[in-house]
Amino acid sequence: MKDRKKLYLISFVLLSVFLITSGFHEVYGQAKKNKVRLKADYVKLMDREIYLDIKATSKIEKKNVKVPNIEVTIYNEFNDEEIELGTTITNMKGESKFVIKDLSDIKADSTNVYNIILSFRGNDYFKKASKSISFKDAEIKANLLTKDSLNYIKATLIDKSKDSVIVGESLDVQVQRLFRSLKIGEEFNNTDESGTIIVPIEEGIPGVDGNLTIEVVLNDHDEFGTVKTFVNAPIGTPIVDESTFDQRTMWSPRNKTPMFILIFTNLLIIGIWSILLYLTINLFKISKTKN
Amino acid sequence: MKNYDKLINDLAPRKFGKIGVIWTSLLIVIIIIGLVAYIDQIRQGQVVTNMRDYALWGIYISNFVFFVATSFVGSITVAILRLTNNTWRTPLVRIAEIISVAAIIMAGITIMIDMARPDRILNLFIHARLQSPITWDVIIIPTYIVISLLLLYFPLLPDLAILKKHFNKKSPKLSRIYGFLSLNWSGSKAQKILQEKSIKIIAIMIIPVGILLQTIDAWLFSTTYRIGWDSTNFAPYFISGAFVAGVGALITVIYIVRRVKKLENYIKDSHFDKLGKLLVLACLIYLYFNINEYLIPAFTAKKGEAVHLDTLFTGHYATLFWLVTIGGLVIPIVVLLFKNGRKPLPMFFIGLIVVIGSWWKRYVIVTPTLLHPFLPIQGVPESWRHYFPSLHEWLITIATLAMALLIITLLVRYLPVIPIQRTADEQELLKTDKNSES
Repeated sequence: MKDRKKLYLISFVLLSVFLITSGFHEVYGQAKKNKVRLKADYVKLMDREIYLDIKATSKIEKKNVKVPNIEVTIYNEFNDEEIELGTTITNMKGESKFVIKDLSDIKADSTNVYNIILSFRGNDYFKKASKSISFKDAEIKANLLTKDSLNYIKATLIDKSKDSVIVGESLDVQVQRLFRSLKIGEEFNNTDESGTIIVPIEEGIPGVDGNLTIEVVLNDHDEFGTVKTFVNAPIGTPIVDESTFDQRTMWSPRNKTPMFILIFTNLLIIGIWSILLYLTINLFKISKTKN
Repeated sequence: MKNYDKLINDLAPRKFGKIGVIWTSLLIVIIIIGLVAYIDQIRQGQVVTNMRDYALWGIYISNFVFFVATSFVGSITVAILRLTNNTWRTPLVRIAEIISVAAIIMAGITIMIDMARPDRILNLFIHARLQSPITWDVIIIPTYIVISLLLLYFPLLPDLAILKKHFNKKSPKLSRIYGFLSLNWSGSKAQKILQEKSIKIIAIMIIPVGILLQTIDAWLFSTTYRIGWDSTNFAPYFISGAFVAGVGALITVIYIVRRVKKLENYIKDSHFDKLGKLLVLACLIYLYFNINEYLIPAFTAKKGEAVHLDTLFTGHYATLFWLVTIGGLVIPIVVLLFKNGRKPLPMFFIGLIVVIGSWWKRYVIVTPTLLHPFLPIQGVPESWRHYFPSLHEWLITIATLAMALLIITLLVRYLPVIPIQRTADEQELLKTDKNSES
């Protein structure tokens, strides 16, 4: 009898341990929701597009993880009113790009500041979250200068809200490359009292047909966000295409076999097999020769 | 006339004895086992082999290279000796032609075994790139098969006609087959002219084609820019190696055929002596190219080459490398330099170790290089760093060797291994010479 009681007790303890470590834990894990951290950067590409660069992350088990597939709604805050601009869904990297078709579609406050609110309603796994950002409209006017056979890029940074130049801000000047832009000039190119920088472009930068795309960037500014303009400059060294793609080479596909290989090999094959054919005919002749 | 009948009796094919039946049955059993292994390889894929990303050419390719090398015997012994009017060649040439045919047919089959998808073999022709040495190989092997068959067949015509008559009463069925194959040979002047002209053309043609075959085989390796293969010397190295393998195989087969068929009156000790001299010449030339192949990379000691040579000289492949070099090359040279070493029995053993050495030599050429790639072997299972053939590979390879031996056995069984008509003509010629001298 005592043994049976002991057996029940042991069974109960084992069952409890099993439930706690497996099923209960799962249920508990599902019930706990994590916080989402939203981040948004305002980016203006001059004469191209304006967008919000959105990132969603969450701290789960002391690790920052990207939060994919959550719907973020974007509002324009104006006079204590939230006007919905649209929604976007984060990709597998927890990132999303929300394009603002035209800045005139959204309204700025009395100080010409645009206020944007990003909102996530929450779901089964994550709590609701929001983030607000503010920015002013700025632009960069840039052009190419040639003085004494030397090329320069001249750029002026303008605060559109006041229609005045911005003084003492650093602009990056860089040449567009395949993987990452190549920075040129000094490390800091601060705008002067006329809001302008002049940066020399060194010679010999290679470009397709000699064309370079030069970018002037105000990078991640507290007030104006990121503003980037592009200047096409036909001052690069043309890239000489060394590809043998269209040539007949030993490494080409079969339709571009070098002529000497085609001629020599085929001559050999035809020559040898003609002789073999002749020999076979000789066998036939032998069999037909009368005694 | 009596002598002529005796000659035909001596040289005409005879039924297998007890040993012949056992030998043939054994070969057939080995082939069947290999066939089963091959079917399993097709079913499961090449995962049954031990070839992986690095050792992607294994025993099949080294076996293929061995067969290609051995087939060279047709070019050298038959064609060269024929063109240089060496009359002592007569009792040896047919066996050389038979070995050549068997070896080149098996080379073609072996390369197909190495293909993971033999059903796609036509793609080799349909999508062939003429820039690729593999395409050249695909073209040259069937060409060499046809030439070797013609080289065997043309000189056979008079003998087939003789055998037709010989088996007329004994075995009418066999007689009919010989009759069909003899192409109505009557020995007329017109037929002889056509035959002699054709043989001369083949004898001339098989030399460049044979050299081309060995060269392409070498270029399969040397055009890949790999350590141990990247050598301008590789084609002559392969040609001289083929010379050794071919003559070695010829000596071995000749000894066995002479003994089994009791042809001591036709294949004399002097033939072995001459073949011994030919083999020692071949071995010396091959040794010279070996020294070139290994000494210069060892002297210049580029990093990759040094690692490769270390593996061969003192490392993982050292035992095999030195056995092949000393056993398969140096010892034969030393033995064959002595007259007693060129007697039939020592020659048989020398021939045998030369053939075995030649087979393993191809293995030493193919495998170690593949295990020394330019980029370090990383992120792969440990077993991929080494290569030793799997059971499937061994069974299939042994079966291909057995198949080559079976082809030789059957041809030796049904064809006169010594040209009857030519031997008769030569003996007649000798008589005439003696008469004229006296």
